[in-house]
Amino acid sequence: MHNTQAEKFIVPMGPQHPALKEPGHFEFTLDGETVTHAGVRLGYVHRGIEKATEARTWVQNLYLLERICGICSHTHATAFVLGVEKLAGITAPPRAQAIRALIGEMERIHSHLLWLGVAAHEAGFDTLFMFSWRDRETIMDLLEEITGNRVNYSANVLGGVKYDVQEKHADALRRALDFLETRTEHYLEVVKNDEMFLRRTRGVGVMSRELAEAWGVVGPTARASGVARDVRVDAPYAGYVDFPARLILQTEGDLEARFSVRIQELFESYRLIRALLDHLPTGELVKTVPRRIKAGETVSRIEAPRGELFYFIKSNGGDKPERVHIRTPSICNMSSVLSLAVGHPLADVPMLLAGIDPCFSCNDRMVLLKQTARNGAHADEWTWEQLHQHGIEYYRKQKR
Amino acid sequence: MKLGGMFADIWHALWRKPATEKYPFEKRAAPERLRGALYFNPEKCTGCGMCTRDCPADAIELVTLDKKNKRFVLRYHLDRCTFCAQCVETCSYDCLGMSNEQWELAARDKEPFTVYYGNAEDIQTFMARAAPSETDAQTK
Amino acid sequence: MNALLALLLFPGGLFVMLNGLAYEWVDRKLVARMQNRLGPRWFQPLADVAKLLGKEEIVPRGADARWFNGLPIVALAAVLTAALYVPLLGILPSVGFAGDLIVTIYLLSVLTLCLALAGSLTSDRFGLLGATRTLTQLFSYEAPFLLALLGPAVVAGSWQIGTILNYASGQWLIVTQPIGFFIAVIGLMGKLELPPFDAPEAHTEIVAGALTEYSGRGLALFRLAKNVALVVGLTLIAGFYLGGIANAFEFVGKTLALLGVIVVLQVLFARLRIDQLVGMWWRVGALLALAQWLLLIGWKLWSAN
Repeated sequence: MHNTQAEKFIVPMGPQHPALKEPGHFEFTLDGETVTHAGVRLGYVHRGIEKATEARTWVQNLYLLERICGICSHTHATAFVLGVEKLAGITAPPRAQAIRALIGEMERIHSHLLWLGVAAHEAGFDTLFMFSWRDRETIMDLLEEITGNRVNYSANVLGGVKYDVQEKHADALRRALDFLETRTEHYLEVVKNDEMFLRRTRGVGVMSRELAEAWGVVGPTARASGVARDVRVDAPYAGYVDFPARLILQTEGDLEARFSVRIQELFESYRLIRALLDHLPTGELVKTVPRRIKAGETVSRIEAPRGELFYFIKSNGGDKPERVHIRTPSICNMSSVLSLAVGHPLADVPMLLAGIDPCFSCNDRMVLLKQTARNGAHADEWTWEQLHQHGIEYYRKQKR
Repeated sequence: MKLGGMFADIWHALWRKPATEKYPFEKRAAPERLRGALYFNPEKCTGCGMCTRDCPADAIELVTLDKKNKRFVLRYHLDRCTFCAQCVETCSYDCLGMSNEQWELAARDKEPFTVYYGNAEDIQTFMARAAPSETDAQTK
Repeated sequence: MNALLALLLFPGGLFVMLNGLAYEWVDRKLVARMQNRLGPRWFQPLADVAKLLGKEEIVPRGADARWFNGLPIVALAAVLTAALYVPLLGILPSVGFAGDLIVTIYLLSVLTLCLALAGSLTSDRFGLLGATRTLTQLFSYEAPFLLALLGPAVVAGSWQIGTILNYASGQWLIVTQPIGFFIAVIGLMGKLELPPFDAPEAHTEIVAGALTEYSGRGLALFRLAKNVALVVGLTLIAGFYLGGIANAFEFVGKTLALLGVIVVLQVLFARLRIDQLVGMWWRVGALLALAQWLLLIGWKLWSAN
């Protein structure tokens, strides 16, 4: 439409767009159908959770943090719980740790199957979408059976888990895994062999290992580019100490590899769950954790379905945390989409976006202050008062 | 290299019952552990109030009518509850539980979302006490 | 009086529209069942159209209201006119004339042109992209689609739908011209922007393509027009390639069977990118259609000698 350099043809995606299931804003500058520039604006679902943690007790925060993300609620809770237990100098009983890993793997299964459906939908392959979501229901039903809820399982408490896995649950889970295993084999076959689908995935959005390292990509997206990094393997936590996970790696770095890595991780999850069920440690479920946590600070890392989830927790010895900082995997991966989109047709952009499995409500916990402070402070060293003042001024400006 | 890798799926699905459930018409039994509405058994309650302290959503209020005779009324705000079951976990006297039968909780107005638990007479006493203050609020 | 009835009720007007809505339901229901879903109830397409007709039509800023409101009417009128020339319910059209096949095919293309115009007249960026893609797709499938429908015309030695149907009713041309049949079916799917050829309205990329700004009556009319085009296209292909359409029973049976094939193709494949689509049509579709067409002409000349 506009060929001159001055008039750019910019296609906005979001905050409301059918390709996005959550609000985020992207702007793609197009030359014909090819993307020449990409920009992003996040923060539409910023809820101030990190600040809110400071006004709640350790126990209450567990449920607040669980609600950061609807898909990986359990990983958020587990990361927080493990951090708090570390601060308190307590280790949860082995059975609780194993159940944490078990539910974590179940969550990974439902998350990856959900992703498979969404990614297929972005490619206009609704049949794969419908079938993968139908099969996902089996694991959702089991999560409900074991914990009492389909999302936000609330399985964790400080010092252990609430829900035991009984023999009948184990049997149902084993049956479900058999079914899911055959289905997953079929999906892997479709994704790797269906000619029409391969046209949309093979060689699209290739990210080399160097680029993945440079952009700080994490999780399955990084593993599809040959970056051997998985917190479950590198720094085992909870049940993964006794039940080690295997690392799934692909080196191609294109969309097909991202599909393949995630589907193969499903098999790994099935194997882990079977191992966990067969050798579930016996014993109690909860250890008492004091209401006031010893002063100190700690870091807690977990492999969420989307990649490394990072918690920084600081206690001043009270019944509320002094500071909780969270870095979610989606924010690490976001930059890679913007860089990858350039040079690709617009039709590939939703696929590329889906390729990192973005979670916008996970993303939005940070505001970047671009301007240097007028009140003398260095840009990255603001005191609380300065930040507070900036907030007041910012919103006053918005009002006007 | 294959075309139409999902043909077998659609062929079988064509002859199968749809996976979709016709929810309001056909209901499935809820799982045993489903976390629905909270229920309260006043018999064993000592009035320690730990449940209200741990509730992340301020959904429970415990009103002590007579500490000595263990008369308590639990005011439960269904609309604030996040159904996390922390109160059930916290309660050392097994007074609280979550129902797996009451989970269709939608309503058109706010009134049914405030639930009072306790002995019938205790609730009456409580309501009688609360009533004047509420009329005060209205006149203001 | 009879002419008016013919225009309003049968074969024009009400009958084709209702038929189109019914076929849309069959399409949606079958797709749903193949994906192990429940699918809509039988009156859903009608309810959709009724709802859309009752909605407020918002003319976007920068769009000419006359064009914006007029284009859906032109599109529907064009396909309804096309419906006059095809043997709905097996009844041979009375208004046929030499060359009505070409007119019918181009009346169907008017629908696509109207879509593209509607998209480009609104200043919406998704609409513009959708319009560009619609036209790109039109230019890629139109020639092979035309050639595929002209194949039976060549062997029948006539450009009149009635004559071709008479010729085709004796034999199933799908046996002698399988390539033509295949290309005609795929071309019809491209024309109606059904998956996997739905790049012009790929909703994960460009929302609703050319129709993004349409919300009320205009959207209803465009949808009706597409439904009518589906019926017309199915009737033509079934009549030409599946042994003619002699009565209402054959009409329903053959068009539904064809619709079934289209549904399976819809369900089975992932969406093609617009560049892949153009490449596929010109590198494979057009060449095959042309090759078959030349063969047919050669055979015709040879058998004439």
